[in-house]
Amino acid sequence: MGRPGAVVPEEALDRVEEALGPWVEKHELNFGAVDLVCKPENLVRVMRTLHDSERLGCAFFTFLSGVDRSELGAGGGGLEVLIHVYSPEHAIHVTVHVPVDPAAPECPSISGIYKGALWHERETHEMFGILFPDHPNLTTLYLPEDFEGHPMLRSFKLPTRVIKEWPGAKDPEEAAAGGR
Amino acid sequence: MAMTTEGPRRAAREGGAQGRLQTEEMILNVGPQHPATHGVFRLLATIDGEILINAEPVIGYMHRGYEKLVEQRDYRQITNLVSRMDWLSGINNELPLALAVEQLMEIEVPPRAQYLRVILCEMNRILNHLMFFASFGAELGAITPTFYAFREREDIQRVMEATTGGRMHFGFFRPGGLKEDVPRGFVDDALQGVRQVIERLPDYEDLLVGNEIFKQRTIDVGVLDKEAAYSYGVTGPIARGSGADMDVRRDEPYLVYDQFDFDVCSAPNGDCFDRFWVLVREVGESARIVEQAIEGLPPGPIMGKVPRVVQAPAGEVYVRTENPLGELGMYLVSDGDRRPYRLKIRTPSYNNVSALSHVLANTYVSDMIAILGSFFFVLGDIDR
Repeated sequence: MGRPGAVVPEEALDRVEEALGPWVEKHELNFGAVDLVCKPENLVRVMRTLHDSERLGCAFFTFLSGVDRSELGAGGGGLEVLIHVYSPEHAIHVTVHVPVDPAAPECPSISGIYKGALWHERETHEMFGILFPDHPNLTTLYLPEDFEGHPMLRSFKLPTRVIKEWPGAKDPEEAAAGGR
Repeated sequence: MAMTTEGPRRAAREGGAQGRLQTEEMILNVGPQHPATHGVFRLLATIDGEILINAEPVIGYMHRGYEKLVEQRDYRQITNLVSRMDWLSGINNELPLALAVEQLMEIEVPPRAQYLRVILCEMNRILNHLMFFASFGAELGAITPTFYAFREREDIQRVMEATTGGRMHFGFFRPGGLKEDVPRGFVDDALQGVRQVIERLPDYEDLLVGNEIFKQRTIDVGVLDKEAAYSYGVTGPIARGSGADMDVRRDEPYLVYDQFDFDVCSAPNGDCFDRFWVLVREVGESARIVEQAIEGLPPGPIMGKVPRVVQAPAGEVYVRTENPLGELGMYLVSDGDRRPYRLKIRTPSYNNVSALSHVLANTYVSDMIAILGSFFFVLGDIDR
């Protein structure tokens, strides 16, 4: 089976390169999906092309979120916006990584292209503290309005794990020695 | 429901004297506790007379922060967390996590485990869909479907319970395979359960789909077009009810779905009726898959070669599966630890419900519950 009209990942990568070559920093295949790295200032152009181009046709919005890579070790990077879109026509998966400045994280909103991003951007804003300046209604989605901090950042520690480190004591002697 | 009476009172004071009916906008607050929602959900509706001008869903009452919690737990512990997202389809939630870890670790899952996963997932899909069949009828004022659907559910529910030990939160899939093999009598009981569903389904369909009142309440009500469905990332029966012909099980077969013969049901109109029709049809297709999978169920082990400590090597993978309510995806970033570095969970209900305000705008207040009900969402799945 498989989807009629589906293109193989290598062909998808070629099409993405052809359409977006100068606007992305890096493009490669990762488990069948095209992985892009793109600067915030080019994001709207890239997403617009992915959405409108007939040979790509990524009309389907999967998700938008963030990743805080600051503790990922060497070459991990910092804060990034992560977007996934899909082409129902050609079965092309595109993952877009948008590294943002951790000191003043800001990324243009893509809700004008993909309406589904409206909620995802609100969630990413409150969870990671990333600002989407042209979002029409950047209020909190899950958290109370007066919540302090951005819970999904690595620097935001779970209180229970501050009191008791994961995975805890493996046997009773160790627990007694640790005063737990 | 709580409403402010200030609007109509003022309208009565000011407009009533001239003898003509004046309307003005007012805010109607639906929820957070409302029987038409599976969980705690609030809708801020701006209405003008009988027309809903704007409806803004307010979510977050059940937010449990799973994406943060999973970063402090190992993969086997997470299985039990994700099982609790969409509580009507627990075992389906566990699947993408297992698949993501297996992809990164390059674990080969034995065929018997794959077949059993398909069987359990599809039986869970039947349970989920019958639940929405029941509740959608009840929301429109027909209580009978509830009794029929729950009678059928119980037989399949018993098989699931005998197999996994749970009725809602199964905790049965492991990276590499299953917790244990199925009990004696599983094949006969499962077959009996799904055959009963196949046999009785036409009657159920007639009960609602053929009902004149039901048609009037649902046809051409709450239309979601295909472009909007794509733009919002709507999936599952709701997207297929809008003419989007997509189903991960067929498009990118995982497990052993490519070995079964089943149809992807879709309908072109995008109204409440089409969404419901697709939902009911999918029950039959799932039952067919279970029948075929049981027929081809191979003997053998139910766990692949998995090290004692499950540590996914560094890497990133996005895995998507067809949950009963749509595409459930997990984006796993691993740094080689026993815990995920980051696990983005893309749940179907979240994207589906974000399209609600688009659909509810400029509809009648009296259609609101029909539209809400036809979006088949579970709040635990939205809030995570």
